[in-house]
Amino acid sequence: MNASTEKSNPGHYALIVVLSLLAIGPIYIMIMTSFKSQVDMFSRVPLWLFVPTLDNYAVVLTDNKFDRYMFNSLFVALMSTLLTLAMAGLAAYAIARREFWGRGFITYGNLMVRMVPPAVIAVPVFAIWSRTGFSGQFEELWGLIFFYTALNLPFAIWLLFSFVKQIPVDLEEAAIVDGATPFQVFRLVIFPLMKSGYAVAAIFTFRIAWNEFLIALFLTGRQARTLPVAIQGYLTDEGVEWGRIMAMGSLIVIPSLLITFFAAKQIITGLTAGAVKG
Amino acid sequence: MGNVSFNDVRKKYGDIDVLHGIDFEIEDGEFAILVGPSGCGKSTLLRMLAGLEDITHGTISINDKIINDAPPKQRDIAMVFQSYALYPHMTVAQNMGFSMRLAKASKTEIAKRVSEAAEIIGLTDYLERYPRQLSGGQRQRVAMGRAIVRDPTVFLFDEPLSNLDAKLRVQMRAEIKSLQQRLGTTTVYVTHDQVEAMTMADRIVVMNAGIIEQQGPPLELYDNPENIFVAGFIGSPSMNFLPATVVENGLLLPGAQFLAINTDLPLQSSVTMGIRPEHLILDEHGLIAAIKVIEPLGSETLLVVDFNGHAMTLVIKGRITEQPGDTLKIRPLEHAYFLFDPNTGKRL
Repeated sequence: MNASTEKSNPGHYALIVVLSLLAIGPIYIMIMTSFKSQVDMFSRVPLWLFVPTLDNYAVVLTDNKFDRYMFNSLFVALMSTLLTLAMAGLAAYAIARREFWGRGFITYGNLMVRMVPPAVIAVPVFAIWSRTGFSGQFEELWGLIFFYTALNLPFAIWLLFSFVKQIPVDLEEAAIVDGATPFQVFRLVIFPLMKSGYAVAAIFTFRIAWNEFLIALFLTGRQARTLPVAIQGYLTDEGVEWGRIMAMGSLIVIPSLLITFFAAKQIITGLTAGAVKG
Repeated sequence: MGNVSFNDVRKKYGDIDVLHGIDFEIEDGEFAILVGPSGCGKSTLLRMLAGLEDITHGTISINDKIINDAPPKQRDIAMVFQSYALYPHMTVAQNMGFSMRLAKASKTEIAKRVSEAAEIIGLTDYLERYPRQLSGGQRQRVAMGRAIVRDPTVFLFDEPLSNLDAKLRVQMRAEIKSLQQRLGTTTVYVTHDQVEAMTMADRIVVMNAGIIEQQGPPLELYDNPENIFVAGFIGSPSMNFLPATVVENGLLLPGAQFLAINTDLPLQSSVTMGIRPEHLILDEHGLIAAIKVIEPLGSETLLVVDFNGHAMTLVIKGRITEQPGDTLKIRPLEHAYFLFDPNTGKRL
């Protein structure tokens, strides 16, 4: 039909297929394994045809602590995402639009904080944590929420900063002349135009908080355990319960996928709105 | 309704002086246009009036009340931006009613005012559309509608037509002018386009490098420019300038060509002679010039000629048969030339 279709190179398709396999392959294996019995799982020849079983899911879901783990994970991931977005949006707006001392340093220095691997800060964080005396399910969860918020803020600020930068200053000035207070300018003009930025930031921050394992393992006790930490409960002295690990892994993916789909829809709506073209 | 006055208004950005003491008054209901080249400070002055820039020195008053420290919303102004600055996530009606919504007006009051304004600008059928669904001219009208809804003391326009194509610009020019005449609201309009200034303004303020070069009604600036800058800026095509020396009974022009004029300037003094393209006519006894470019416009012809190394433009009625390279004899209409001091640029 058109020139670009005619010139398509089969090599491109091959590359896309390979990359897709690399991306989807592990998830496929995880989901397939979660439906296999212990015998099928360890068969010498990988089995493509097998009798699916829901046993692994039954065990995972009937574990009376699963609800709590799920709640903990959701609570931590959602609250830290909300907190991160709320703070990052305002911070990004201030950095992009307001003149203040140290603005340049904050803009770029901010991102350097994110360069440090979480494992490195685990020890100092633990030192602070032990002084706070957090204990019990909710105190620990809130502690974790604050930690993830701090961990995600730099990246979220940096990401939203670029979205604020794209919004013409004229719109803000028009709002000021129309009689808006600085906060109204943000709430009624900037915020609605940054929706797609918030969606992107939400995907990243939720995903990191939802999947994070190491710090959650360090900091939380039994009551505040999150799903990724709970998985390692299936690594027992008697052996590794692969089927249950895979079943729980498959369940963990679901909320993350839902959030991503929901947020992605916002991104597309934002893009098609041609929102920030003066 | 209101008058606006600028009193020794200065603006500094760090060590850089942008405005060097601006003084002028705009009367109630007047359409004033600030015109000048890019970087002359006209937009800065407008933004200072709007409250979007601080005033370094001097005072700006609306209705005799100094508004230097008043926030924009207390100045009772409405502004139309070059980019229109329509809120992309709001419909036309929401855009127009935004200021009233902020002022916590009732929904019925907002709807009433928005529909009145929409009627004035002819956008009644577009109220539920989003800005992206409108053409450039319609967006421009919405921006005006947003200003009208507020019923302000002063309208501010910051180069509102520069994003439109030439044809639409002419149309919107007429619309803005007739709207202003109908509403009778004091208007301050910034543009770099002198044609816009000439066609729309009651009064033009010509700015250059942070100062006012001259101000007055359009035709007064055209007929009596006070200096070379205004003479060259106002009028299209712009005025021709030639170096000349005062001799007995006339001027000695480039190429030792003599032009008889009456002047009481001292003999042998150097002057710059300015003559508008439309004030040069073909005359058998005129000065010799060679045609470089011919631009036939139908009803008239624009000629660029070489006058002893100086390019000059002239506009003549009708058409000509000559070709580029041919020579012509031209002369200025009597009393239609201006003499300027070549050092100060002031009119002599």
